[in-house]
Amino acid sequence: MGLNKFRAKSPWILHYNAGSCNGCDIEILACLSPKYDVERFGMINTGNPKQSDILLITGPVTERCRERLVDLYSQMPEPKVVVACGSCASTGGVFRDMYGTECGVDNYIPVDVSVPGCACRPEQIMQGVVAALGILAQKNKDIEKPVRLAGKVTEQDGQTNRRELAGTLEATNAKN
Amino acid sequence: MKRTLTIPMGSQHIALLEPLHFRFTCENEKIVGVDADVGYVHRGIELACASKFKFRQVSFVVGRVCGLCSISHTTAYSQAAERLLGLDISKKAKYLRILVIELDRLHSHLLCLAHTAENTGFEALFMQIMRDREASMELLELVTGNRVQFDYSCVGGVTRDITTDIEKELTRKLAKLKTDLEELYEVFRTNWSLSLRYKGVGALNAQQIKELNAVGPLARAAGVAIDVRSDTEDLLPWKEVGYKMMVEQTGDVYARNIVRFREMFNSFEIIENVLRGMPQGDLVTETKANPQGEAVSRLEAPRGELFYYIKGNNTPVLERVKIKAPTFSNVAAFIEIFKGQEYASVPPILASLDPCLSCTAR
Ligand code: SF4
Repeated sequence: MGLNKFRAKSPWILHYNAGSCNGCDIEILACLSPKYDVERFGMINTGNPKQSDILLITGPVTERCRERLVDLYSQMPEPKVVVACGSCASTGGVFRDMYGTECGVDNYIPVDVSVPGCACRPEQIMQGVVAALGILAQKNKDIEKPVRLAGKVTEQDGQTNRRELAGTLEATNAKN
Repeated sequence: MKRTLTIPMGSQHIALLEPLHFRFTCENEKIVGVDADVGYVHRGIELACASKFKFRQVSFVVGRVCGLCSISHTTAYSQAAERLLGLDISKKAKYLRILVIELDRLHSHLLCLAHTAENTGFEALFMQIMRDREASMELLELVTGNRVQFDYSCVGGVTRDITTDIEKELTRKLAKLKTDLEELYEVFRTNWSLSLRYKGVGALNAQQIKELNAVGPLARAAGVAIDVRSDTEDLLPWKEVGYKMMVEQTGDVYARNIVRFREMFNSFEIIENVLRGMPQGDLVTETKANPQGEAVSRLEAPRGELFYYIKGNNTPVLERVKIKAPTFSNVAAFIEIFKGQEYASVPPILASLDPCLSCTAR
C-alpha cells in the first residue's frame, strides 16, 4: 500500500543513451544541477533498471543499442513510464534513414511522453517528466483496478481473441 | 591467494553518460587487462553526409555528431569546405568563431570536471561546478540562440552577429564566472581528500603518450606540447588573440584537471581579446560554386585534435566526408592507463579522460 501511494512522489529515473549526440544527455545532466533541480520532485537518477520508474531515452536507437534498450525496458518493474527526449528519440530527427539508426524509440518500445527539440531544453525535459508523473500515477491506479471478465471469451482458430477480450474488459470498467 | 575476475562495465552504467562497454580483468583489486567496445553509437553520418545532404547542409548535420563540441565540428567542416571553394572569409567571422569555440571549451571542460568530481564521490562539488557552468550555457544561448546545438558556423562564415548589449552581458557574466572558477581551482589544487584520489592515479608518461598517439588535454597533462591551435594560424588567428600552450608534467588525473583549469583561464583572456579587437566585416561570404577537389582541415576541439577530410566532384553533394575525432586517437591510451590501477579508481579516471563516444563512432 505504502509503496503504491508514494511511488509517484518519488520516482527514480533511469537514463539510457541510445546513440544520441550527447546534446540531450548533457541537458538531462543540467536538469540535475542546482539551477533546475529536478530532485525537488523527489527524483533520483539511478543506474539500476530494477529500481527505476521512469526511463529517459535519448538518441535515435542505433542498431547496436536496440537490444540493450529493450532489455533495460523489460527489466524495469511495472508500472513504468518511458520519456523520449529530443527530436531524434521521438522521430529519428536528422538521423532519420541513416543506415545505422532506427527512426525513433517508439518502433521498439511504447513511448508515453515525447519531448521535442534539438536539443530539448531543461525546462522542456522537466515538463515532460512532470507529465510522466501524472501518467505514472494513472498507471499505478490501473494496476490496482479489479479485473472482472464479463461476457464470453471468444475463440478463433483455437486461440483466445485478445482484442475482443480487451473490448469487453474496457466496457465493464467503464460501467463500474 | 590470487583470484582472477572479469568485471563488465557498461553499456549502461551510472558513471557513464554514453553507451561504452569495458571488460576489466582483475586480479584481486588490480586491473590486469582491459577490453573496450566503443561502437554503440554508430549512426552512419559519414555516408549520409556524402549522399543525402547537400554540402551546405552538411555543416549542420556534422554538428549532430557530438553535442558537446558541435561548434568544433561545424567549424572544422566549414573550414574544409571553404578551402575547396577557395573562399576567403572575413576576419570578423573568424573572430566570432573563436569566441564561440572558447565559450564551448569552457562549458565542456566544466562538465568534465564536474563529472570527475561526481565519480570520485564528491557530490557537493559536482553540484557547485554545475551551478557555475550554467553561466557559460546562458552566454552560449545569448550569443548563438541555442543552448547546445548552435549551428553557428556555416560554409562562408557565421549565422549571427553579436550586439553591444550581448557584449556587455558577456563581460559581466564572464567576470563572475572567473571568480567562481578561481575558487574551484583552489579546491582542486589543495583539497587533501581529492589529492588522494587524483595524485599519481591513472598516469601515463610522455614517452607512452607519443607511442600511443594521444592528443588533447590527456597529452598536454603528460608534458607533450601538442595543440592544433599553435600551428593552424592560417585558419583562425589564435596567436593574435592571445592563445598560450598549457602543459603539466605528471600526466595523472590531477594534472589533467589542472590543465583543464589553466586552459579555461586562457579562454577568458582569449574571449576578452576577441571582444576588444572585434573587426568590421561581413558575416557570410557568398559563392555559387560547387566544391571540387580534396581538402583537409584541423581544429582543436575541447578533447583534442579534430580532423576533417572532404572530397568534392563539382556537384552539390560531396563524394566523401571523413571525420577523425579526438577520442578515437585516445582509445589506445585509455586501455594502457587502466592497466595496473585499482578497480575503485576506474570511475574518476574514466571521467578525467573525458571520452566522447558519439564523436568516436559517428
Ligand atoms: S535531438 Fe538533437 S541534440 Fe538531442 S540527441 Fe538528438 S541530435 Fe542530439
